[in-house]
Amino acid sequence: MKKTLTFVDKVPKVENFFLSLSLLSRNFPAMASMEIDSEKTHERKQSDYTCLQDERFEIQKEMYRGQQYSQIYFARLHLMRTLLYSLAPSWKPHLPVCKVLGLEEGKECIIVGTLFKHMKLKPCVLDEYSKERSVTPLVKPRNFMHPDDSLILEDESGRVKLGGSALSPAVYVTGVVVALHGKETSAGEFVVEDVLEAGLPPQLERPLDHLKEDKYVLLVSGLSIGSNSSNPLLFQLLVDHITGHVSDDEELGLAAQIVHVVIAGNSVEFPRKLLTGQNMASKDQSTLYEPIKELDIMLNQIAAGVSVDIMPGLNDPANFALPQQPLNRCLFPGSAPYNTFRSCTNPHSFDVDNIRFLGTSGQNIDDLDKYSEAESKLDFVERTLRWRHLAPTAPNTLGCYPFTDRDPFLIETCPHVYFVGNQDKYDSRLVKGSEGQLVRLICIPKFCETGVAVAVNLKNLECHTRSFNIQL
Amino acid sequence: MATTAKNMKGFYKQTKSNITGGISKSKPSSRKVSPKHAATQGSDATQPAALISHGSLDVKDGYDEKEEMLRQFDMNMAYGPCVGMTRVDRWERALRLGMNPPYEIQRLLKTEKVQQDCLWQGRV
Repeated sequence: MKKTLTFVDKVPKVENFFLSLSLLSRNFPAMASMEIDSEKTHERKQSDYTCLQDERFEIQKEMYRGQQYSQIYFARLHLMRTLLYSLAPSWKPHLPVCKVLGLEEGKECIIVGTLFKHMKLKPCVLDEYSKERSVTPLVKPRNFMHPDDSLILEDESGRVKLGGSALSPAVYVTGVVVALHGKETSAGEFVVEDVLEAGLPPQLERPLDHLKEDKYVLLVSGLSIGSNSSNPLLFQLLVDHITGHVSDDEELGLAAQIVHVVIAGNSVEFPRKLLTGQNMASKDQSTLYEPIKELDIMLNQIAAGVSVDIMPGLNDPANFALPQQPLNRCLFPGSAPYNTFRSCTNPHSFDVDNIRFLGTSGQNIDDLDKYSEAESKLDFVERTLRWRHLAPTAPNTLGCYPFTDRDPFLIETCPHVYFVGNQDKYDSRLVKGSEGQLVRLICIPKFCETGVAVAVNLKNLECHTRSFNIQL
Repeated sequence: MATTAKNMKGFYKQTKSNITGGISKSKPSSRKVSPKHAATQGSDATQPAALISHGSLDVKDGYDEKEEMLRQFDMNMAYGPCVGMTRVDRWERALRLGMNPPYEIQRLLKTEKVQQDCLWQGRV
């Protein structure tokens, strides 16, 4: 039962778009008179916002000492192994848990370790040096899967090749920690009979009654200001809706119920053709900064009315490796002075009225899409939740900071809302866990292509789209 | 092409003396000390850097029982990979992850003059 609200503004065919814009929404005197007529003023709802979880994603205190990625894999395996060891007795009580090096032929047991998927088509830097120079395809394949892919389990003592049909290589990726029940064959392979994933983490109790009114958190991503496909009028319509610069009373009521806005990545797109490696002319330099200046003006309008979080994405001016650090406040001279404006990390986790939100700008799911398959993107999202890891392919194929003592992507408490930005289309699902957890999974579509933003109701975790359209 | 022992110094080129002006690198004094192996007499091209650790001549290989204990700590797989971390950091990580590392190691690292980096630091 998907509810969609559509706001369509029919713009008459005039040459000057800005004239029609002013006719539509900037009519303060008209609004004031409307308020006197209806005697109804809409006040924006208030909510509690806390953002304590993002500390784990910040890397200011980290120091690089020449470590390699083995450290983060060790931390990940150790923490997940402790968890899986505690879950194994209730899963298969009669079976012993042993290490890979302690495997005996024919003995049924449980082993716990990190999966490694050996992929034939995965691009390898050593291919450049291989003697047989086959014709490299001009178009890079979007997905690197192959029927011959095989899985290997590695724990602290050794690795073993996995066989059997219970574990499908199409579903799993390198970096997932699981427990496997099976036995070793004479060929030295471990035939898997059953798999235990960590499952949904424990969830904090959702406050049930005190939210009697509808309060919405608006999620949007992929604004791509500065790209050829983005329409500034579309974003202006969204901003007007959020700030309440609308003439329709019902829409004004909807806008007043928005308590928080999150922009999940890819807010700007720089004209990369100017980056040639040569010195840039000053005219080109000012053209380069145009998108971020435009974004600042819009954020200023939003921040003046409602609290807004902005997360960096793949195309934003932030670091490449996850966890991406917050966009610098100097990029937003107009919006930064507002205390409602917050520049956040990617991934981002926050609480609104004790409802836990967790989300990314989409890089983790896009990477899963390249190395595994599923029927819909939401399946990938659900899998990361069941594996208790936001980005299992980091650092294998997804850039990641080499942490030494922790893995910040492990999901320790189950969020109530788990969102992923910059996807192709909107999709949403409610997932129920074995211990009564309830999570709303959301794929936020790219706003520049679809004009769709997602609103989540804090009262009941119901979610619907708000789409903006310009008909010319 | 047999050269007598007397001609060894003439056979192998000597290292350049420090010339004033131009680019000159200051060499640590330990490099002038002659190594034990006669085959490398006069040339330090084949002298492995590992024998000269941390700028001082490593006569005993820095190898006493304290270092032995610390090396056993480095090599213990239960505490994870040791390369790329200082021993103190690795010990603290082991403590935080609940592995109960022996306090003796931390006491040694904090109070006595032992090598802070792991066994393979600078060699791998």
